[in-house]
Amino acid sequence: MNKIHEHINKVKKGEIDIVEATHKALEETEKINKEYYYMNEISARLALSQAEKLKKHATGRLSGLFISVKDAILVEGVQSRGGSKILNGYIPPFSSTAVKKLVDEGAIIIGKTAQDEFGFGGFSTNVNVGLNHPLNPFDKDCATGGSSGGCGGMSQLASFPHISLGESTGGSIVNPASFCGVFGLCPTYGRVSRYGLMDYANSLDKIGPMGKELYGIASVQEVISGHDSNDSTSLKNNIDNYSLYIEKDVKGMNFGIIKETFGEGVDLSVEKKVWDAIKTLESLGAKYHEVSLPKTNRYGISAYYLIATSEASTNLARYCGMRYGKEEELKGNFNEYFSKVREMNFGEEAKRRIMLGTFARMSGQRDAYYIKALKVRTKIIEEYSHTFKKFDALISPTMPMLAPRFDELEKLSPLQHYKVDLMTVGPNLAGLPHINIPVGFEKNLPVGMMIISNHLEEGKLIQVAKEFENE
Amino acid sequence: MIKEFNTDVVIGLEVHVELDTETKLFCACRTYGNIEPNTLTCPVCLGYPGSKPVLNKRAVEYALMLCLALDCKISPELVFSRKSYFYPDMSKNYQITQYELPLGQNGKVELSDNKEVWITRIHIEEDPASITHPGGIGNSEFVLVDYNRSGRPLCEVVTEPDMTTPKQAREFMKNLINVLKYIKIFDVNECIIKADANISVKESGYVKVEVKNITGFKEIENALQYEISRQRNALKCGEIIIQETRAWDADSKTTRSMRTKETAEDYGYILDPDLVITDITEEWIKKAKESLPELHNEKVKRYVSEYGISLEDAKVLSLDYDLSGFFDEVARKTNPILAAKWVRRELVRVLNYNEMELSDIKFDSSHFADILELISKDKITENVGKKILEKLAAGSFNVKEYVKNENLEKVSDNNALLDMSNKVINENPLVVDEYKSGKDQALNYLVGQVMKMSKGKASAQEVKKMMESLVK
Repeated sequence: MNKIHEHINKVKKGEIDIVEATHKALEETEKINKEYYYMNEISARLALSQAEKLKKHATGRLSGLFISVKDAILVEGVQSRGGSKILNGYIPPFSSTAVKKLVDEGAIIIGKTAQDEFGFGGFSTNVNVGLNHPLNPFDKDCATGGSSGGCGGMSQLASFPHISLGESTGGSIVNPASFCGVFGLCPTYGRVSRYGLMDYANSLDKIGPMGKELYGIASVQEVISGHDSNDSTSLKNNIDNYSLYIEKDVKGMNFGIIKETFGEGVDLSVEKKVWDAIKTLESLGAKYHEVSLPKTNRYGISAYYLIATSEASTNLARYCGMRYGKEEELKGNFNEYFSKVREMNFGEEAKRRIMLGTFARMSGQRDAYYIKALKVRTKIIEEYSHTFKKFDALISPTMPMLAPRFDELEKLSPLQHYKVDLMTVGPNLAGLPHINIPVGFEKNLPVGMMIISNHLEEGKLIQVAKEFENE
Repeated sequence: MIKEFNTDVVIGLEVHVELDTETKLFCACRTYGNIEPNTLTCPVCLGYPGSKPVLNKRAVEYALMLCLALDCKISPELVFSRKSYFYPDMSKNYQITQYELPLGQNGKVELSDNKEVWITRIHIEEDPASITHPGGIGNSEFVLVDYNRSGRPLCEVVTEPDMTTPKQAREFMKNLINVLKYIKIFDVNECIIKADANISVKESGYVKVEVKNITGFKEIENALQYEISRQRNALKCGEIIIQETRAWDADSKTTRSMRTKETAEDYGYILDPDLVITDITEEWIKKAKESLPELHNEKVKRYVSEYGISLEDAKVLSLDYDLSGFFDEVARKTNPILAAKWVRRELVRVLNYNEMELSDIKFDSSHFADILELISKDKITENVGKKILEKLAAGSFNVKEYVKNENLEKVSDNNALLDMSNKVINENPLVVDEYKSGKDQALNYLVGQVMKMSKGKASAQEVKKMMESLVK
């Protein structure tokens, strides 16, 4: 399957009328959106003006590739709200570095995708911009996963050459990729500049591509990677040629199967599909052994939610109706006004996480929660690096279940919601690259397998995923 | 460690110094130059979603220089934290500062009475925006916020509660400013220096009151004097002093309560995850050390060895950066020992009398050196020299020509002195008799009369010698 590669070549040679193709892509996006609610904003004007330019001159590596962008990743001139009403009407004066790099290589931005407010959720049901939440592309009664749910759904349903730019803090790329049956690559922390990404938890946030074609994933990852002087945490290491890994195979690779991510609490049908996939890898010449990550399994979720909410509660402080975004009637002193704006415009989950995070870093609690969580995180990183001395990559299911129905989700407590991140928080805390690979269907819903590799070894993930890409 | 206090008053200071960098602490916006509000801003210092801070290395170098100049121990890592509180002048509603690990610790500043004030910590942080109350504080319906100041680099210098008088606090501030001038990281005309003072008195059992927002070293003495008497008066009236934060109002010269301990803020510090923790390498410290100019202590040593002036003169001169610079210029042109004495005493006297700063004077070091040159060559008396200096304060002129034109040269002709002395003896037979009967002061009167006659151009010592030999 090389639709994206072909398309880019044709655009470069002028064999496709890219303006006409853009019109069609936008129409299709509108149509999908009416039914599934994947887009918070469709940037038709921007897309068409980019297409007009490409018609005259197309030399970029991604010429004519259509890209949808998670709402939290800024696109200059296009309303960007991070899924929150509190940023209603906010038109950013600058683009994120990732988007700028894509546009510089000829990609066409079709709009901003639906997400949980500021990334706070695993099912894209915590939407807070006054639109419906996105629906699973295979069953409209089920969730897309989250928080990059719109990216997942759009990636599955778009028939035009398309890649989506997602973002993961605790699993928000692989989770919706799993529920929507697409590839989702979350790169090493710092591999892609976060400049222009609305912060959820700065020490965890990562931008990465989602889509149906590995060539598209690999080439987008190549373009968006690299050091950025505007983001001190971005890495200076050389950028790997990810698309070359599509040509490699898994023969001789040694996989660690994470013991704790199978068994109790995991849907049996999910387990079975993942084991089938592991057997496939074995048949292709790979080896595997069970491996245990006890610290990650036991403390991962707690450490993740303490660090993420501590950081988030400071990041969200700036939204107060004063300098940008939603305003309310000016009344009372500044404190009363800020409180009113925040009370009226943050959703339930945002408020919950602000309170959790504020509590965890208050003097008195700080050492027991925030500081301890940082220490646990270091232990978890050590546990992984120890494991990577023996294995090329680790394997687990991406999600412990199939895409849940909305009526089931309503019954879950916040804590039960947090627990579905069990498998994904580990690599996210450790800043390790990981990918969701669709490995089949169960009850008409996709099942995802997650591969985790060592820092900066995104290439290996592409290499493994390639074995499951439909020819 | 809990300190045992026993002095009447205990004072500790937290001083905020604006560093004189070209650009802000975390973005490329210029720090000064445009007074139009909200024009020196960008998404970073306005706290826009998606913006990220990038550290200005120059600001760290400046702060490092300050730490080294104050003998601080430098931390091995550079770590920034977020201090959270909601206020309209905070673009992100948190301030990027240093909490766990300040850049420098355990430094000291020496005062003139050899007292050492210990520096607990020195850290780097960003300045909030500035706020104006169009109708005055308390009356304004609204405030105006100017983000030009948002993100300017600050150094906070925190002392131990080592000072015991407002005068010491003033001297500490003055010495600190002197150090800042020495290392040239602070522009007196552009940068702001502000202090918060912790102050407690014995009578209350040392209950700590914080007085915020004191600008400059003169204000600090006023503010502390006011606060000490406020606390003592309150205690005399049977009131109790509570732990609280008060604001200094420079206009009314009073402090007013802002908040008490019960409502104290919890800043919920976390590490700033946008800024990577950086090692402060030996190399970095070495570079900062090398870029340090001659500091106060080194200057004292040099003055003694190079110019041969007294240790005390050397100390007093180097404690004032501007004065010592002037002294250096004069000492290179003429007798350094005379120069030290004259810069320290006569120049300072004339400046004080005219309420002038060194930067205000119209003459330069060569005028001053000319006077000293004439004195050391015995061409004029010191008295005449003092008068010329006083006159120079009003406007400069050629000193040598002036002495010639005004006929101020010293009367060194022995015959002329002898004539004058004899005349005085003849005119004051009674005084002469008094002296002869043993009243030594009588001689001074006679000498004074001769000096008067010579219009100060004679040397008092020579006249005295001559008088002694004449009336013995």
